[in-house]
Amino acid sequence: MTQIGAHTERVRQRTHEGFLRHHGFRYAQIATGLCVAAVGVYFVTAARLHEPPSGGSWLGYTLGTISAGLIVWLAFLGVRKRVITEGHYSLKAWVSAHVYLGLSLVVLATLHTGFQFGWNIHTLAYALMMLVIASGALGIWAYATLPQRLHANRGEITRRQMLDALERLDAQLRDVAQPLDRAGAAVVRLSVEDTELGGGFLRRLTNNHGDDANQRALKALRNLPPPAGERQAEALAKIEELLRQKADVLSLARRQMQITAMLEGWLFIHIPATFALLAALTAHIVSVFAYW
Amino acid sequence: MAQDFHLKLITQRASGGDPIVRERTVPGPEATIGRAADSDIVLADLAIDLKHAKMRFSGPGRVSLESVSGLPFTVGGRVVQRADLNAASHPVAYFGSYALAFEPAEDEGVTVTVTRDDQEHHASPSVFSLQARFLGRRNMAWALGAGIFLVCLLVPLVFAGVLSHLQIHPDQQWSSGPLSKAHAFLETDCKACHVNTFVAVRDNACLSCHQAGPDKGAEAKVLAKAKDEGSPFEPILVSEHAEHAKLEKAAPLPPGLASKASVIIQRAFNHPTDRCASCHIEHTKAKAPADADPHAPVTDKPDLTVTQTCESCHTGMKSRLPKTELIDTPDWGHHPAFRPLVMTAAGPTPTFTRIALTSAPQERNGLTFPHKLHLEPRGGVARQAIDLGKANGYGAALECQDCHRAQPGGKGFEPIEMERDCGACHSLAYARGPDGKLKYLPHGELQKVVDTLAGRTLQGSPPSGRQRPGEIRPQAFSASGASAYRATFSKGGACFDCHTITWAGDTVRMAPVKLTARYLPRGDFDHSIPEHGAIGKTGKAGSFKCADCHAAAKSEKASDMLVPDLPKCAACHGKTTEQIAAAGKSDCAECHSFHAPGEATPPPGHPPLETLRWTKDVASLGEGG
Repeated sequence: MTQIGAHTERVRQRTHEGFLRHHGFRYAQIATGLCVAAVGVYFVTAARLHEPPSGGSWLGYTLGTISAGLIVWLAFLGVRKRVITEGHYSLKAWVSAHVYLGLSLVVLATLHTGFQFGWNIHTLAYALMMLVIASGALGIWAYATLPQRLHANRGEITRRQMLDALERLDAQLRDVAQPLDRAGAAVVRLSVEDTELGGGFLRRLTNNHGDDANQRALKALRNLPPPAGERQAEALAKIEELLRQKADVLSLARRQMQITAMLEGWLFIHIPATFALLAALTAHIVSVFAYW
Repeated sequence: MAQDFHLKLITQRASGGDPIVRERTVPGPEATIGRAADSDIVLADLAIDLKHAKMRFSGPGRVSLESVSGLPFTVGGRVVQRADLNAASHPVAYFGSYALAFEPAEDEGVTVTVTRDDQEHHASPSVFSLQARFLGRRNMAWALGAGIFLVCLLVPLVFAGVLSHLQIHPDQQWSSGPLSKAHAFLETDCKACHVNTFVAVRDNACLSCHQAGPDKGAEAKVLAKAKDEGSPFEPILVSEHAEHAKLEKAAPLPPGLASKASVIIQRAFNHPTDRCASCHIEHTKAKAPADADPHAPVTDKPDLTVTQTCESCHTGMKSRLPKTELIDTPDWGHHPAFRPLVMTAAGPTPTFTRIALTSAPQERNGLTFPHKLHLEPRGGVARQAIDLGKANGYGAALECQDCHRAQPGGKGFEPIEMERDCGACHSLAYARGPDGKLKYLPHGELQKVVDTLAGRTLQGSPPSGRQRPGEIRPQAFSASGASAYRATFSKGGACFDCHTITWAGDTVRMAPVKLTARYLPRGDFDHSIPEHGAIGKTGKAGSFKCADCHAAAKSEKASDMLVPDLPKCAACHGKTTEQIAAAGKSDCAECHSFHAPGEATPPPGHPPLETLRWTKDVASLGEGG
């Protein structure tokens, strides 16, 4: 088990540092170079432009064309990752380029705006792009740090094992509760039938399970009238023990869910915002030429 | 025969495969149902009470089922406390997750098949993933994308025209920035300028409110249109710098590789660079110069982008416009010599020719007039002016402004009027009427003079010298003792001094006279500024006097051109204040502007927008020019 764990650790570290460090930060260098060049050209040229800097100057069009091309290419990661290919343009290279070139858009597209913003489709496209980038940055952070936390959290237990443990505990609870009267049975049913492992996005993300049925069952157990007989007393003691065990497993699984939610949550902004951005970008470009 | 319950307990194997079936018989007539281990039928479901219900035979093949715990059960979809069942109809009673199916047994008893609906939900590890809960990621993406596509692109593109009738302007969201204050009234009316979709704003759109000429009527119509559109300001009417077709041709590609590429690409994509909108940029914040006039903010008007300098087009123009007559002016140092409009034939419709001052042109204005004679400080003219006295506006040797009267503001001069400007000395009085008042010859129309003098003979005796105003000039009529008519037009006569006169028998011929109003209509010159003499400005001493530029004191002929040539300007313009105190700028804008080359370029922001608010009725607009 330890050996397998160590192996997984190595593999994990290699892949996750991989897309950021890919090819000696090649794409980080390309993206940085692109940004530095754009900033340099902007500050040399913008002052010499006849008109106030905007997307309508030659520099604006150039930066806009590069930015739009990048956005479309970046969005293609969704297609690319579904296609299994071999060769130099590995998915890892794509992801690495996606990350760094995506970040470079902050500079390129901002310069494209000429720092002119307003309540219009153009700024909407810009805002959506920044939202996509911000959520993507969250994703980079998540992918770079969370797998480790996920691993540390679960230790050597797999998710499957967590679920199995919960099922086993529920089965035991049901068995042990058989001799109990209606009130006792209700307490166990509360835990077995009403406990919700996950919940909605926010509940998962905040890991706030204040109304957890298992906890309520534990509380209710203590408020039960004294057991009728020795058998019942024994059952109740056993049930309390089982409920506590279940609480521990739940806590572990929910923490796992919380980290997973963080790991996956950004995509729920990144992907829809990307689609919205592509539409807004189309509207931005078409409208500019429609009302040239 | 006793009735028994034949129990058939069926349990599904967790690992799958055939279920386990156990059979047992419970002797009648009654059996207990519950979770308690001592029940006849044990239902190990926590939802079921320890002693939940009992059943008993109520007849052949009939069973009565009754709750003893107060907790119900379900039969035929109804939640009940009690039920009478006929085994023949194969009823099923549900207790929690258990189903009790009744059917007649071979004996008189009943077979009860107990099964558990063991649909235990086995969670999959995918519950850890958000996808398990959040089904709509893809749908959300498509909905958002499609929504924006529809609202922000399709609707404005297709329905902007229709919706504008309902005062809805979906295309307004396309505006990349606010319009200047001058055009703000068009903010919701994109189509006013963006007439054709996917066609860059053309000049026609601009000129529909800004076209100058060709006549006052047309201009009034243009202004009326602007007012109808809702403009709070009177638009500035403009003329083309040159024939439009030649403009783009005359302009070279701008300097810089990127700008060149930009222009070539724009032209290739039907985005000409010689449009009004190429220079007058809207939807962007105008750049205000540091020394901007706060009373004439440039931000009130579209931002002016200078895409070409004067010099860039006016250098090597012949290579682009072979037929042009314009002389290149690559810079101030190479400004061609002034080529004033020189009158080559006077008359009601005089002819003018542009002749360079360097070739010493002579003007044929039909007049005999020596400036030198009039300006000599000790000559007869000076003496007469002194004699006229201060009361008559003279009293000293003549100065330029004694005859040349400044226009209001002092920029230029009023045209010379003989009676007003020369009449003080050159009297046109020819007789004294019965009331004692002097009679004057009508100046300007030869025939009227002839008619006035017809039949009149000489009066008075011939003195010498000129007469003062208010006196008749007797020698005008005494030249030859002949008729007053002949005398007036002969040497010594009133007309002879200044006009070129010939005779055809008894008929007088007079060379037509016309004085040039403006010699250099392609450039501006303001006499009123201090450095130019501060003409018309009282209390301000000009740096220069007229004589510094105009060599009138030496001119003996009316045909002399007294307009100074370029070196006079260059004495100050293009110099530094170290070189000369009155140093002036040397850029083209000093004397020329793009739309009206004959006028200097107004300072940025001028005229102030607020001064353009409508003050008159549309009908009278444009009358003021």
